[in-house]
This record gives sequence, C-alpha cells and structure tokens, in this order.
Amino acid sequence: MSGGTQYVVAAYAVIWVILVLYIVAMGLRTARLAREAELLLRLLDDRDAAGTRDEAAGVGH
Amino acid sequence: MTDPAARRVLVLGVLTAVLTATGIIGLFLVAPEDSGEGQIQRIFYFHVSIALVSLLAFGVAFVAGAMYLRSQREWWDDVVFISVRLGLVLAVLTVITGSIWAKAAWGTWWIWSDPRLATYTLVILLYSAYFVLRSSAEGSRQARFSAVYAIIAFVSVPISFYAVRVAQSVVHPVVFTSSGAAMPHSMLIWFVVALAAMTALFFLLLQVELMQHRAQRALREVKLRLERG
Repeated sequence: MSGGTQYVVAAYAVIWVILVLYIVAMGLRTARLAREAELLLRLLDDRDAAGTRDEAAGVGH
Repeated sequence: MTDPAARRVLVLGVLTAVLTATGIIGLFLVAPEDSGEGQIQRIFYFHVSIALVSLLAFGVAFVAGAMYLRSQREWWDDVVFISVRLGLVLAVLTVITGSIWAKAAWGTWWIWSDPRLATYTLVILLYSAYFVLRSSAEGSRQARFSAVYAIIAFVSVPISFYAVRVAQSVVHPVVFTSSGAAMPHSMLIWFVVALAAMTALFFLLLQVELMQHRAQRALREVKLRLERG
C-alpha cells in the first residue's frame, strides 16, 4: 500500500473495531438483563409452588 | 411492533445502515483525491464527523441534565449518563483517528502546542471525571450531582470548538466559516453524509441503551416487590 493508504485503512479499522466492541458491551449488558429476568421467573415459580403446597396442606387439615 | 421505542430503533437502524454504506462508498469511490494530502485526506470525513457528534453527545447530556433538574425524572438521568458515555467513546475514537492522520501527514502522533488538541484533551478529562463523581454518590443525589456536573462540564465544549478559530491553528485549519466550507462541493456532500450517518448512529445507540435501562429498572422493581412478598 502506498500514498498513505495504510493510514486510511488503519483509521477506518479503528473506528470499526471500537464500534463493534461497544456493541459487544451492549450485548453483554443485554445478556445480564436476560439472566436477571430468568432468575426472577424462577423466584416466581418457587413462590407459586410454595403457595400451592400451603393451600394443599390447609385443605388436608 | 407496538412499542414506540422499538419502532424508533428500527427506523434509526435502517437510516444508520443506509447512510453509513452510502458514506463509505462515496468517500472511497466517488469523492475526489485531495491535491495536497492525497489519500490520507479521506480520514477527514469520519474523523471530523465523529468529533462533531461527540460534542453533540455532550450537548445532549447538557440539555438532559437541565431537564432532570427541572423534572426529577429518572429517564433524563439515563439520557445524561448514556450521552456522556457515548460522547467519551466517540471522543477517544476522534483522538485515535486524528493521531493516525497526524502521523501520516506530519510524521508525529501528537502536537501539544495545538489549541484544538489541548482543549479537546481537557474535554475528555472533564467528562471522564463525570464517572468518578457519579460513583461517589447514590440514589437521587447521584442523579442530581451528575446532572449538575454535565451542565458545568459543557462549558469546555464551546471552548474546544472555538479554540482553533481564536488561535489560528496550523494543524487544525478552519474548514467551516460563516462564508461557507473551504472545500469543493464534491467533497462536502460526502462529509455531510458521513456526519448524518454518525448522528443517526449516536441516536440509535442512545435509544438502544435507553431501552436497556428501562428494562433494568422494571426488573429491579419486580425484584423489590417479590422480596416484599
């Protein structure tokens, strides 16, 4: 590459890499949100299951 | 798609993709080669666009900071935080691409005596301190301090913008004056496209991150309610 083309390529490669890294960071944050949502869903399931057990025990008495 | 935020993301995404593709094709295949600098000058299109959009991001943070102080709405605090973070990423990108351009054109990565470089570094340092301040407080105090700081830090933006106009920098010549742009229309058009692409990208990323913050806040609320039973 001549006439400074390598510098132009380097500059645009840096822009591309940093923007992709930023999008990856956003993706990781989204993954964390999904994990939190799944955890909350499990908590809700546990609570519903405990509620059903309590009701069953109440009917039995 | 009923969520207006999701619709905005879709529209901005398409706009960003079309403008970026058009800009890259235009500046590499259509725009004429600069008679003075040759191929190296092609860095100009996105380097200057990113620099201007970084200042725009700090401007958005300034307005959002004022809006937060007026309304105390958490959403405005999110806008301040995300705009400052995006502004800083774009500012770092500006410095890196600028340094590559400087090395190619003048054989040096950095010139300390240049007023634009010195004042732009000051802008980066000031906005970096925003995160230190933000982590030192919590709750509504955190949002209030952050808003006030974003407003005060914005003073550095017009100083950086007008530095080259006042100091007559050699490294950063004044391209845009009140009498028009000091470049042919065949170059100017691709600069405008690149600037529009970067502006659309900024608002796209801002919108996506605002949606993330909204989801995070909703999850936090659900968690609290579950803990309370």
